[in-house]
Amino acid sequence: MVPSKENEMTMTKSPIITPQAAIRVRGLSKFFGPIDEGAIARTGPEFGTARDPLSGSIVAAWDVNFDVAAGEALGIVGESGSGKSTVLRCIAGDQPSSAGSVHLMCHDEGRTNVLDLSPAARRKLRIDQLSVVYQDPAEGLSLGVTAGGNIADPLTAAGWRNFEAIRVRARDLLDRTEVPLDRMDDIVRNFSGGMRQRVQIARALANNPPIVLLDEPTTGLDASIASGVLDLIRGLLEELDLAVVVVSHDFAVIEMLTQRCIVMQHGRVVEDALTDQLLEDPQHPYSQKLVTAARS
Amino acid sequence: MNSPLINVCDVSKTFVLHNIDGREVTALQNVSFSIAPGEHVALAGSSGAGKSTLLRLLYRTYTLTKGEINFRLSSGEWVDIGKLTDPEVVALRGREIGYVSQFLRAQPRRAVIDLVTRAGVSRGMSRNDAREHAAISLRRLNIAESLWEIHTSVLSGGEKQRVNIAAGLISPPRLLLLDEPVSALDPENRERAIDLIAQLSEAGVAVLAVFHDLDAIARLATRIVVMSHGHLIDDGPVHSILPQLEPTDVHP
Amino acid sequence: MNSTVDEIAGPPHSVPFALLDEESKREIRRALLQAVCIPGFQVPFGSREMPVARGWGSGGLQISLAIVGVNDTIKVIDQGDDEGVNAVNLRRLITSSTGIEETSETDEATIVQSRHRIPEDAMASDHILVLQVPVPEPLRGIERNMKELERMHAEGDYSKMWVSLYEDKVRNGVITQTTGYPCLVAQRYVTATTPIPRWDIPRLHQAEFLTLFGAGREKRVYAIPPFTDVEPLTFEDVPFEVEASNGAKCRLCGSEETFLVETPGSESRWSCSDTAWCRRKRTK
Repeated sequence: MVPSKENEMTMTKSPIITPQAAIRVRGLSKFFGPIDEGAIARTGPEFGTARDPLSGSIVAAWDVNFDVAAGEALGIVGESGSGKSTVLRCIAGDQPSSAGSVHLMCHDEGRTNVLDLSPAARRKLRIDQLSVVYQDPAEGLSLGVTAGGNIADPLTAAGWRNFEAIRVRARDLLDRTEVPLDRMDDIVRNFSGGMRQRVQIARALANNPPIVLLDEPTTGLDASIASGVLDLIRGLLEELDLAVVVVSHDFAVIEMLTQRCIVMQHGRVVEDALTDQLLEDPQHPYSQKLVTAARS
Repeated sequence: MNSPLINVCDVSKTFVLHNIDGREVTALQNVSFSIAPGEHVALAGSSGAGKSTLLRLLYRTYTLTKGEINFRLSSGEWVDIGKLTDPEVVALRGREIGYVSQFLRAQPRRAVIDLVTRAGVSRGMSRNDAREHAAISLRRLNIAESLWEIHTSVLSGGEKQRVNIAAGLISPPRLLLLDEPVSALDPENRERAIDLIAQLSEAGVAVLAVFHDLDAIARLATRIVVMSHGHLIDDGPVHSILPQLEPTDVHP
Repeated sequence: MNSTVDEIAGPPHSVPFALLDEESKREIRRALLQAVCIPGFQVPFGSREMPVARGWGSGGLQISLAIVGVNDTIKVIDQGDDEGVNAVNLRRLITSSTGIEETSETDEATIVQSRHRIPEDAMASDHILVLQVPVPEPLRGIERNMKELERMHAEGDYSKMWVSLYEDKVRNGVITQTTGYPCLVAQRYVTATTPIPRWDIPRLHQAEFLTLFGAGREKRVYAIPPFTDVEPLTFEDVPFEVEASNGAKCRLCGSEETFLVETPGSESRWSCSDTAWCRRKRTK
């Protein structure tokens, strides 16, 4: 693993121009229960747990750092309990974080730590700056509402008031996500899992957010359905120049969608790598174990 | 002879297998050579010699254990690929260094023309230009227009490989790494592909390639670098090295 | 020795003016003032036990009783009719505890308490309209969680409401909500317009009179001050339409321009909802 330079602080300019980060995460941490320095020192991969044996508190995530630029996708890989979903929920605002910062280029040009914003302000970001696609479509959709209606939701939240315009936009998004248009007025509860996921993606893209977070987007779907959804996501990522964070335990998903990724174990980041390098030359013992298991 | 584009300096690669008692496997040792723009360097050596390892190191799919891989940017500045940050490597791969392997990786179910167009866009072409060039490439590689909107997953192995080549060569990067790019092609299509690759040198692209047939090497290479058991054992012009090579030196 | 009921009961204890004690009236008036300051916002108040059961206008009644003064004249209607049983009872309750004048002419009234209609005659700045509200929450049926409802109003996040209007239009071709149509008041709060029909909604917009809404069972009051914007929620390309009478006329006075209701019977016959207006037209 090549250590990354803290480029915002150093004066040395790299001769290679890398795109500016759309989202910058520094020191993101989440604890449950009272935490002291000792608790952090007593947890993590070397101890095989995120739970402090002394206090019972949990260091669900500690000191997570990454940048993602527009047009890039970053993966967060790990098994369950690794903290990867915790990180996503903290960035999304679904869960309060304990420490750290998240800066978004689209919000105050990256000058404000969005973790310091009020819950109401965080919610506003979710309308058109940052979208989330959840593993369970039911979490990101209103099941009793039609496919078109689920898309009308973020549109009206963003101020759309023209019924025809809303219909046109909804049709366009459903078309892009390959949902048959003759199902636009069916309630989502009547859709299959894969179709629900497509509607969730369409809804997430409604207001052209620059940043999209995906939490296990195809877990739970049948393999053939999942690959179709992955293809779709990959195509949209490229076409729309989004900055994307994908959380998954599945290396096939990470390989398909991302160029770089971080590996988490017991709340810590153990490796930070190019995706192809992680899959072919993993450095950390845990990464090696995961990759070997995935390959077999 | 023009100034090199890439300098491989005393490069070694050792894998540490943590889950097998930290056993170490050395795949490359003290490899040094350089490639200048317009050169087509063939990598020869029997299976396990370290050819693919070397390609992957240059592309940074493998991390460097020791040594430097110095690359000259278009600006004239040099960078050590082994010390770049991940985002820098991603940027480098976009425009400067390309890789064409035998397989179509992680890109099934995408229309053929989209895949090649997309590769062009990632190298900095406008969408329209990329689409035009994609069409030209695909025609030259004998991919019928009727296949252009077809998803790559339903193509034959040979068709996939040709699409791969088209994507790899569109708006070619300054250094192209080829890993058996024509192995699955029938003779006629192999010819077309080799023609296309031959033109790269003329365009000033530096190529480092692994081919498993002596004929392709003879037609394309300007130099041959021979490897054995992770060491570089010979490096010279094609006309002096080629006669010494046995088919077993290149066949897997 | 036989006693009369009066002897046993003793002398009648005095009933305060307008039934409620001064502290109660003050509390209600304070809530109303808050409501007027925040148009469309539902203000909680300590809804008292009234001589009418919940669901029969106790909220509207408490407002009227809190604001009434000796010089006021009261009109009470139910579905536009002064002579409906409920209207009669409420009016009697108010006049007997205050001694004030009652009327069926909108012009002569200063306080008009109503369920389901706004009188046809125009009201002005010397009128106060008091509406009886069963369900003050416009988002009822769309969101069940109390905290979430509070948040939606607090943040002006009405997207769920818009989705329900969208779904309505998609399912039915039109927005079908008939009574209690949700309106945006002063560009801020979405408000339930009680069970008044769509016909009357445009008359709330920039009205000269003050409208007070009382929900006794739900314990909320809200207000639309004079000259306030009241916009029925609809998409900009889906015009808000009032009930169509399809050429029907009042069978008593021939009017086509007032809100008509059907009288049940073998033959469908229409008549004016506002009975006082209709009577006056006939006697002119």
